[in-house]
Amino acid sequence: MSRLQTSRADWADDEDFDDPSVLPPQQVISNKDGSKTIISYRFNDDGKKVKATRKIRTTVIQEHVNPRVAERKTWAKFGLEKGHAPGPDLQTTSVGENIVFRPSINWKATQKEDQSGNKGSMKEQLKDKKVKCRICNGEHFTARCPFKDTMAPADEVTAGVGDQDGSGRGTPEPAGGLGESKSRYIAPHLRHGAGGSGGDRMGGKYERDDLATLRVTNVSEFAEEGDLRDMFARFGHVTRVFLAKDRETGRAKGFAFISFADRADAAKACEKMDGCKLFLPHLRSYGEKFLT
Amino acid sequence: MRPILLQGHERSLTQIKYTKDGDILFSTAKDHVVCAWFSANGERLGTYHGHQGALWTVDVDPSTTLLATGAADNTIRLWDVRMGKCLKTWDFPTAIKRVEFSEDGTQLVAVTEQRMGYLGTIVVLDIVVDVNAEQADEPRLRITCEESKATVAGWSYLSKYIIAGHEDGSVSQYDSGTGDLLQNVQVHEEGLQVTDLQWAPDRTYFITASKDKTAKILAANNLKILKSYVADTPLNTAAITPKKDFVILGGGQAAMDVTTTSSRQGKFEARFYHRIFEDEIGRVKGHFGPLNTIAVHPRGQGYASGGEDGYVRVHHFDKPYFDFMYEVEREQARR
Repeated sequence: MSRLQTSRADWADDEDFDDPSVLPPQQVISNKDGSKTIISYRFNDDGKKVKATRKIRTTVIQEHVNPRVAERKTWAKFGLEKGHAPGPDLQTTSVGENIVFRPSINWKATQKEDQSGNKGSMKEQLKDKKVKCRICNGEHFTARCPFKDTMAPADEVTAGVGDQDGSGRGTPEPAGGLGESKSRYIAPHLRHGAGGSGGDRMGGKYERDDLATLRVTNVSEFAEEGDLRDMFARFGHVTRVFLAKDRETGRAKGFAFISFADRADAAKACEKMDGCKLFLPHLRSYGEKFLT
Repeated sequence: MRPILLQGHERSLTQIKYTKDGDILFSTAKDHVVCAWFSANGERLGTYHGHQGALWTVDVDPSTTLLATGAADNTIRLWDVRMGKCLKTWDFPTAIKRVEFSEDGTQLVAVTEQRMGYLGTIVVLDIVVDVNAEQADEPRLRITCEESKATVAGWSYLSKYIIAGHEDGSVSQYDSGTGDLLQNVQVHEEGLQVTDLQWAPDRTYFITASKDKTAKILAANNLKILKSYVADTPLNTAAITPKKDFVILGGGQAAMDVTTTSSRQGKFEARFYHRIFEDEIGRVKGHFGPLNTIAVHPRGQGYASGGEDGYVRVHHFDKPYFDFMYEVEREQARR
């Protein structure tokens, strides 16, 4: 056991079992060149131990000062500074950034040059810029181009041609001869993505959602979403109620969509509610989408 | 050059003064405290407490024994520089805008504000330069400014004249013995007040700063305009540098416009002009607000500036400053 005790005092264990709240003493090493190396330890704000190594060379500068000045230097502090240690207090005294101050005869002239230099650089950037027409590459604004009405912008025409070649279909666009450039308006149903017959369906994006949705028409203009929800919730879980409203008056436009979680519920609701008059003058619900 | 920033005040600075040896500088601000600082390292020696209002002015006697301050609480106070103790309080009907000791420290000139039916006056107090002495209660001399109130005042060479700058931009010369008005010269633009008046080391001439964006050097004996320095902003302060023939001007737009202009536009810089050639030779940036006061080290080693931003910046000039010379000056030096 005693062996174990001695091994505990070993240097290797020393660090592990050292009391963390005790700081090692400050070391001062005198170097050969007359300077001193001071190694000191302290705790930083996070409570971690910090080792600071400072190399200090002291030079004594003798300065002859007025004895009055020297005497004043030893005066005790008073007022707010009373009892403070000699030396500047960091709370009131700090050192600012270095300022380069070189008086010069033509200070004003150089200053002006600097300012005009900054402005000049912007001017220079734009000096070599030339106005270029996007249609005919001529030296005028695009808006002033004589071919403005007859030609599409140069780069877009070429891009359009490339696109057609790439697609390899070779068939002309359904929009007709003038529709090659993208800058012209093409009706939605004539665009690339839309199928030829899709004219009657609105909002192609939502086409494929499989929700069991009922269309309710002839809704009273005083109806509210809550009313409709209450009415249809009897048949099953209603996931969405959409009541079309007039943007200006805020009143119902007369139709609504009710989505059910379950198709069977929707079918039942459609069956029961069709032609139903409640407080609404006349209610028609169509199981349009899911029935077809 | 690395300025030392002194943050002892909570409000805008009003005046800075160096002692005759330049080792201590005193600063006053609109808070109610006077601070004393060692100019070499920015260490605060102490603070002087007692005033109840904004401090407008401070001066120290040539032997650094007594300190005089004037404040908006209508008092002039005399302090023991060393202990920070108030020795004497003189009450006046209105605020004190300026105090200055005479060359020998035995007289104190003070400018009182025109307010509440009282006309602006210039008063002269006799001072005994001793901490333990009993000071006179009543002013020796009272000069009433009938036309335009005085804003600044000071003693000429040998305390022969009292020179005062006025609110209307004029400068007058009074006989310091009798208080007679000897001369009044419209030096600055009519209606724009003289904001500062500082002396050359020998007090034969002085510089005035004005809101009319100019500073002028005038001879003390005949009030002749010797030099004129034109700036691009209203000036709050001007100082003459010993050792080098420069002047330092400070200003910036009015305090009420500070928040609406950027610091770049604000022109919050100390401007250096050559005293003889009247050319601007450089600027020193640093303050966030207009410069209210500039004081130059009596030996010309540096200067301190106090701004509306509440900071005092103490600068010690470095080599390029002392090396700078005009070609003609250099030739003359060679001869």
